[in-house]
Amino acid sequence: MNAQPYVAPTIRRVSQTTANPQRLGRVPVMDMIDGVPVARLIAEHGSPLFVFSESNLREKIRAARLAFEAVYPDVTFAWSYKTNYLNAICRVFHQEGSIAEVVSGFEYEKARHNGIPGHDIIFNGPWKSVESLRRAVAEGAMIQVDNRDEIVALARLAEEFQVPIEVGIRVHVDTGTHAVWSKFGFNADDGEALRMMAWTRENTRLKIRGIHCHVGTFMLDSGAYATAAKAVVELALAAEAAGGGLVEYLNLGGGFASHARLHGQYLPPEQATPSFDDYAGAICSTIKQLWPAASKLPKLYLETGRALVDEAGYLVSSVVAVKQRRMHDATAALAAYGKGGVATATVSSRRNAVVLDAGINILYTTAWYQPSIYPAGTSPAMTAAGMQPTTVYGCLCMNIDVIREEAALPVLKAGDAVVMHPVGAYNITQSMQFIAYRPAVVMIDPERRVHLIRRREVLEDVQGPEHMPDYLASTRQSTAAGGRLDP
Amino acid sequence: MTLETDLIRLGDLMLNDRGFVFDPNTGESYQVSATGLRCLRGLQRGATIEDLVADLVATHDVERITVRCDMDAFLWDLKQLGWL
Repeated sequence: MNAQPYVAPTIRRVSQTTANPQRLGRVPVMDMIDGVPVARLIAEHGSPLFVFSESNLREKIRAARLAFEAVYPDVTFAWSYKTNYLNAICRVFHQEGSIAEVVSGFEYEKARHNGIPGHDIIFNGPWKSVESLRRAVAEGAMIQVDNRDEIVALARLAEEFQVPIEVGIRVHVDTGTHAVWSKFGFNADDGEALRMMAWTRENTRLKIRGIHCHVGTFMLDSGAYATAAKAVVELALAAEAAGGGLVEYLNLGGGFASHARLHGQYLPPEQATPSFDDYAGAICSTIKQLWPAASKLPKLYLETGRALVDEAGYLVSSVVAVKQRRMHDATAALAAYGKGGVATATVSSRRNAVVLDAGINILYTTAWYQPSIYPAGTSPAMTAAGMQPTTVYGCLCMNIDVIREEAALPVLKAGDAVVMHPVGAYNITQSMQFIAYRPAVVMIDPERRVHLIRRREVLEDVQGPEHMPDYLASTRQSTAAGGRLDP
Repeated sequence: MTLETDLIRLGDLMLNDRGFVFDPNTGESYQVSATGLRCLRGLQRGATIEDLVADLVATHDVERITVRCDMDAFLWDLKQLGWL
């Protein structure tokens, strides 16, 4: 007799509050990334492993450029370094014509290291050190001033260099669809921005050549950009009317949504996420409609990051343990119907759970988004059991390390590989070395060759910057502390 | 709880071939895995735990220690339900 695939004997109460396993459908599998078997990636580079698709990166930036260049005569994309500043990723975007957008002296150095001249760097952010500003001024970077202290600092540098400094001014507006990002720049709605533009013109050597407005992040309503574009155009016209001349460029920042899925988001990303054409239409039609017909349209800069890199990124990980999780919430829900404490609640409130070899320290964005999780292979046992609501834990010795509270997964066992997607935005730059080494990162080129673009960390990467005071050089226990001496 | 009562409660369960279980004593419905269904039917016939383990090992691609471990968890769930 042929042995059947084994699935453990389990029982679950049929519930209307969680997905019924019988309705979760077939098991979706991601056993290849850009034509490269996941099993091969793990064998050659270990698990966990970040994987980037170069083809996807290029397809995205080309699609974004096409959408905007089709409806606007002068548009330039600046690669948002903070979204992912792995040099290989940056250089793909630079090869595709993107300049650099940086938000710190460190990122400025990276952009220069990547061969970007100062005049092709947009220098953003609420804090720029005087030293970094001095370098940016000397190299002709496009500094977007964020606050009065920065205007004063730049005014001093202009006196020091005895030259005018061309800058952009950052503003925030109320688009009505999102919390106002009032941390950044000056208020364009109540006159503050216009007043600062006039003060700067009248009291410093700074020349305001552009207006910058980044309305927010993961904007699912492209209409917010129309509101922002209207506000910055009106500000530009008001500044001109006040004697300042027309600005040369508008910068609408980033914030375009990727196909990630927010916690609590009902519609799937395929339906909820606007297209590049939607964003381009909202921004460009507004500018063209409101800009004086007799004047040349301003140059348009865009700094979108997430929408260009998120879907190119995958995290391959492996199951290290399988658990059954007791769900106290379900018990409480039953209690509301007078069933609290009855034996049925105990079994009904169990859920499958798996522990992966990757944690939220390298998946920072799981605080806001739910990555899709796919098994990297299939087996008769998986398909026999179908999909189950499953909690996905990370590997950290921290209770908060939950990657997905509930994901539809087949019955997995230790050693099974999974692929999480999309994870290309912010997870590399915001990851933190914690408890375990951060994994390697590879990029698959269009010819399916796999390139290591960041090796796995080793002990020296973590403790290299540490310094040991001489008196702690010995591991022998101090007699002064009353302890025993090590032999 | 007497053995007789246990068997009555187990015998009351209504099972179908897709693993759907209805407990007429509580009105609750359950879903069991294929091996869980095999075990429940075995228990309704009066099989012992050793019988169940031996049956799964003989018919599935699995080590005995794995089945013993999983069976312990499954029987614990059934006890929580008051079926054992």
